[in-house]
Amino acid sequence: MSQLHNVFTLFLSLLVEAMPFLLFGVVLSSSLLLLVDEQKLITVLPKNPFLGALVGSCIGFLFPVCECGNIPVARRLLTKGVAPGVAIAFLLAAPTINPVVIWSTWVAFRGQPEIVILRVVFSLIIAVSVGCLFGWGANIVELLQPRLAKRFLFRQSNQVDSLSLTTPVGDISKLMQSGTYLLGESGQSLFPSPLTSEQTLASQAPKAIKWQQFLQNVAQELQELGGMLVIGSAIAATIQVFVPREIVFGLGQSPITSILAMMLLAAIVSICSTVDAFFALSFVSTFSSGSLLAFLVFGPTIDIKALGLMLSIFRPKVIIYLFIIIAQLTFAMTFVYNYFFAGF
Amino acid sequence: MSNLPSPLPFGKKLIDSKYRSADFLGALAIFSWGLLLVKYAVTGQYQLLIHPNYFYLMLVTGIILILLGLLKTYQLSKRKLSVSSEEQHLTIFPPGVGSSLLLITAIAGLLISPNVLTSKTALQRGVTETLPSTRSQPQEFVNRTRPEDRTLIDWVRTLNAYPEPDAYSGQKAQLEGFVIRLPELPANYLLLSRFILNCCAVDAYPVFIPVELPPDVPAYPADTWLKVSGKMTTQNLVIDVVQDRNIIRNSSRDNSLEARAKRRLVLKAEQTQKIPTPRNPYRYQ
Repeated sequence: MSQLHNVFTLFLSLLVEAMPFLLFGVVLSSSLLLLVDEQKLITVLPKNPFLGALVGSCIGFLFPVCECGNIPVARRLLTKGVAPGVAIAFLLAAPTINPVVIWSTWVAFRGQPEIVILRVVFSLIIAVSVGCLFGWGANIVELLQPRLAKRFLFRQSNQVDSLSLTTPVGDISKLMQSGTYLLGESGQSLFPSPLTSEQTLASQAPKAIKWQQFLQNVAQELQELGGMLVIGSAIAATIQVFVPREIVFGLGQSPITSILAMMLLAAIVSICSTVDAFFALSFVSTFSSGSLLAFLVFGPTIDIKALGLMLSIFRPKVIIYLFIIIAQLTFAMTFVYNYFFAGF
Repeated sequence: MSNLPSPLPFGKKLIDSKYRSADFLGALAIFSWGLLLVKYAVTGQYQLLIHPNYFYLMLVTGIILILLGLLKTYQLSKRKLSVSSEEQHLTIFPPGVGSSLLLITAIAGLLISPNVLTSKTALQRGVTETLPSTRSQPQEFVNRTRPEDRTLIDWVRTLNAYPEPDAYSGQKAQLEGFVIRLPELPANYLLLSRFILNCCAVDAYPVFIPVELPPDVPAYPADTWLKVSGKMTTQNLVIDVVQDRNIIRNSSRDNSLEARAKRRLVLKAEQTQKIPTPRNPYRYQ
């Protein structure tokens, strides 16, 4: 019984800690819906998958959110018609490459600035490579969670007509003709960005309706993502109480298993990236710097709590791919660091 | 025929009313989460969950959520149909499931108070004698604090900065913490421990100072809160639960008590007194 009470306490502590960041992310995402002119945004974003991924990674600097906050934003970007490579790069990089997280990592690891710098560099490398990978090969509808994909398609088919009225074709054809990544046969205009009806609302509707829509969206995303957060936190708290950390520590002795152990711990503990540096700090004495880096790089991208939220964007298959690719990259880089630079 | 309602608006109406009740549920869920956060702020129970640094963040979030819930209810009660019911189809749960989960959690949180982490959790997480902290801090604090004014955490920090136990032998100390009992320690020894929080209860980790009780003192059960005063001594003790026990065990094949024993700072108690569990049992990094 007391164990169950412990699970409940940890569960609430995860939720109470994450709720402000979730609210922040949802409000940000909803204001994106109303304020950002996605036509401009898409025009501004580079079409080249590499540059797109690079820019996507750095959008995080504008949105200081952690992994529970950036998922609504990433989802919004995707539904606004931003290329999947850019959105995925944003999804992976934003929790690490933003001023709040860099600042908190700096506060925690003032004694070892290389950890702060490498955390940013490694995260950037991972986000850009995964972003490129999805930017070149993927059809967005196959990646998206079915309902979201349906909505995406629905919007797209609805908006072709209205768009041809408002936008001269000549203006968009150069930038917006399809690449390989979105639905299109070549030459077809990609412009029908999925939220144009909202966008039209945003620009034309009276303030009251805009405001209502904003409120509606905040409440909606808060319920949905909050529900996922509840499920994820419950799983994380249960594992925390019923799997002794000793088992994880038992693995932490060689350069290889210590990295794997810290990655596992990062996935289990599921702390927000804004505060995870302080958590990592408590392992400085027992674990190699490489494995701490693995924790700091891997944790913000993949963890049990965020898994639920990610399921609201992607199909499970895509999440498994993401997981495998990110895990391998993290492992390879921190392993090299452990061996050649940290003198493990 | 012409006065029959066409099937489409009728179906739409049904869907709308379904979403409408889900919307009310959602507003209620958001409102009750706001209430829960404000309750934690008012009762001080937040201290059992998160680092006080996040207090205002939590309080403001709570207030915003309450306002949002109220605003949403007002909006719903004034409106006949939802503004953009299309937005609703986005959900990955059927309508109402996400908000039900949130609502149930919030109600459970309002009814059941969070508990204080116990020695069982401490043992599961692996207690430690060392504290990660920025290197410049401890020195300042050694100079500032008289030994008898140091808290348990101060002692652990001080030890962390300068780990030679002999340096502190004979110094007076008065410590408060909860009892952890270990099978490998003699009956008159216990660990006096406290949890330290970095961000939230999830990462709370226990630190300890071993205590040698006077012979006439009863054996305190685990999780009793004690105030212990006495003098610091250096002793050889076997304590297996510390985080680095794997390293100790593997570095020597000899698994005998002598090989596992380590020279440690031990508080030799002169006076012990039971105290109630503090309202704020954790310390913060």
